[in-house]
Amino acid sequence: MTSRCLYRLFAYAVGAALLATAMVLPAQAGETTDGVKARGRLRCGVSEGIVGFSARDASGRWTGLDADFCRALAAAVLGDPEKVEFRPLKASERFPALNARAIDVLARNTSWTMSREVLLNVRFPGVLFYDAQGFMVGANSGVKTAADLKGATICVVKGTTHVEQMADYFDGRGDRIVPLVIDSEIGAADAFFAGKCRALTSDASQLAAARLRAPGGPTAFVILPERISKEPLGAAVRGGDDGWFMTVRWVLFALIAAEENGITQANVEARMSGAHSAIVRRLLGYQKQYARALGVRPDWMVRAIRAAGNYGEIFERNVGGESALKLDRGPNRLWTQGGLMYAPPLR
Amino acid sequence: MSDFQVYLTIGIFAAVILVIAFDLADMTLAALLGVGAMIVTGILGEKDFLEVPAIAGGAISLLFGGMVVAHVLDRSGVFEWIGAPFIQFTGGSGKRFLLLLVLTVAAVCAFLPNATTVILFAPLIIRAAKALGVSYVVPMILTAIVSNAAGLLTLVGDPATFIVGSAIGMTFTQYLRQVSFAGLLAVLVIVPLLPRLMPEVWNAHRALPAARSAPRIERPYLAALALSVLAFMVLMFLFGEALPVRIVPPSVAIVAAALALLVIHGARVEQVDDVLRAVDWKTLFFLGAILCLMQGFIKTGLLQGLSLKLHGWFGTDFTLVALAMLAGVGVLSSVLANIPVVAASIVMTKGYLVAAEAVPELALSGEFSDWPAAVLPVFIAMMFGGTLGGNATMIGASANIVSVGICARHGERVTFARFLRYGLPITLAQLAVAALYLLVRRWWLS
Repeated sequence: MTSRCLYRLFAYAVGAALLATAMVLPAQAGETTDGVKARGRLRCGVSEGIVGFSARDASGRWTGLDADFCRALAAAVLGDPEKVEFRPLKASERFPALNARAIDVLARNTSWTMSREVLLNVRFPGVLFYDAQGFMVGANSGVKTAADLKGATICVVKGTTHVEQMADYFDGRGDRIVPLVIDSEIGAADAFFAGKCRALTSDASQLAAARLRAPGGPTAFVILPERISKEPLGAAVRGGDDGWFMTVRWVLFALIAAEENGITQANVEARMSGAHSAIVRRLLGYQKQYARALGVRPDWMVRAIRAAGNYGEIFERNVGGESALKLDRGPNRLWTQGGLMYAPPLR
Repeated sequence: MSDFQVYLTIGIFAAVILVIAFDLADMTLAALLGVGAMIVTGILGEKDFLEVPAIAGGAISLLFGGMVVAHVLDRSGVFEWIGAPFIQFTGGSGKRFLLLLVLTVAAVCAFLPNATTVILFAPLIIRAAKALGVSYVVPMILTAIVSNAAGLLTLVGDPATFIVGSAIGMTFTQYLRQVSFAGLLAVLVIVPLLPRLMPEVWNAHRALPAARSAPRIERPYLAALALSVLAFMVLMFLFGEALPVRIVPPSVAIVAAALALLVIHGARVEQVDDVLRAVDWKTLFFLGAILCLMQGFIKTGLLQGLSLKLHGWFGTDFTLVALAMLAGVGVLSSVLANIPVVAASIVMTKGYLVAAEAVPELALSGEFSDWPAAVLPVFIAMMFGGTLGGNATMIGASANIVSVGICARHGERVTFARFLRYGLPITLAQLAVAALYLLVRRWWLS
């Protein structure tokens, strides 16, 4: 074969390949949203197992507040809440995974902090759960307050904000403690239950989750009343992709707005078709108006609510009264009920 | 990006490299076709093209500026003036010619951008090769390879070393202590290979005519002004970033090009149109297209995604990770532009070190500089891999691309295979020396 023939063959092959791929591929608009749609599944970075937030149940299904939020997001973007690929990550792996584009959204008990936004270029679309760092001790340990922990060894998870905050708290009081820094939440809890530490420190919700699997039952341990930090836990996305950031943010706000307006998993269809009030009618009308700009399904709000329920339902099911944790809603109540949960107007 | 698009990106990239390697089509055409394929398949979008000036602008500006200044210097007769003593200094010996090249190019490239140095040296090299009766292709390839290796001598010698050094907050003097010696070894290891790899030049000998006085410069004012522009460019390369108004090397090159054009326009020697026509646009387009292809490759996230896998494979054995990094980045840099490879590798390495809990999560930011000594070999290996890996092929570094482009413009087309014949053995030897340095360093510190 002459080089001229080879050249012609190559040109034809390239031309045919270009034409074929141009015909089969959809036009691309934005980065992460398009990636999720092209892939047909949402990659959600979760914990290795924190009951109430992201943990596998007996059947192997991921459950929890974070897991449900990912399902709501998948329903809004892909139309199917089951199209989520949960990727369990250690605390130290979460930001490398987000940076490396190995996940689309991080929903892993992650505190919204200035350093993470400013220095790590991570964006927090909103708060999923207002938490705070606390201490858990044995019910019979004699420890009643954090002041009683002076000189004690305290188990804490490596790579979290808890290490520094605990040091700051005790330094501020002029007390000395011995931190025992351990790789994972499970490892830290196990070390504590094995008696290697007098106390375990973490977010109060995680302490409550750890207590569920305590030897001797949950009543064998108590969570001290002190809260030493603010831990606004939320989903996180990479900086530089405003479209995706807005999608995640407004799916969360839609879930909160649904609770504000009495729209639930059970009644969302009826409320949509019945259009009981002007507010609900408008709310559900907005979804179409913004769907194109966000790059989501026209009925994204309905799909998200149908998939996971409104914010209150997600809370109660996973960490509230209907769950094993039975946490009080506290600051996670709606703003109309004295809490901090507030959705900006969807107009 | 969908999985299909990830595979497609790799396929397009591989196809472009294979087409160039097997000389099936012109390399610029192949690269532009690759970019076209990425556009129609949605891999490269509007946003990427808005980012293209940021991706490719620096490298292309440096080359454009170097080409314009070199052309104006050539027209002023400066090269003939310098060339005569240079040729006499070789004594008609190919061996002396090659050693002189290694020495001078290494010294200059320790501080100046590699590809620009190749452009500025090219007229001298071509004159000297012709005077010795040897092909100028071999010394041009050697110049490119030495320029890349010499980039390791100082923190500012190569964009790849500078990017890595800046990412970890390494100072100029820290670099001299930690890395420069290995850079020197990477240059020196070339010398014993020269008689075997380049015997046609090494063994060449020609009796030169008796030394005459330096040729007379016909336009001394033009030459003086052109040399002033060169001096300005060199000084600004060295000190421009320390000025109150920070002027980075690509900007220096643009300013120097403008001044050079002003000089030649003012001297009425040549029209600006003619100078611009003499610029090697084909090489610039090729480089731009390759950097666009790289943007597509980086978008796949494959390289960055290795951060978590590295932890799984190697745990916290940082010497092993450093050796893997040396080999991996070296191989990738041999076929991909080293700047984006190194930039993506930094994300990967920082991610690995955070995941391995060797450093806190804030290490992912650009502000972190408190790197433990134990992890430094990983970054040093990245510098070696990125800088030396590019020596293997003619598309591995911008200096190589420029060198090949200059040869083509002077009538000698360099094939991928021909460059590989010289580049690959030298690269393997240099990477082996770098690996040895990392192992000895570990043994010494332990």
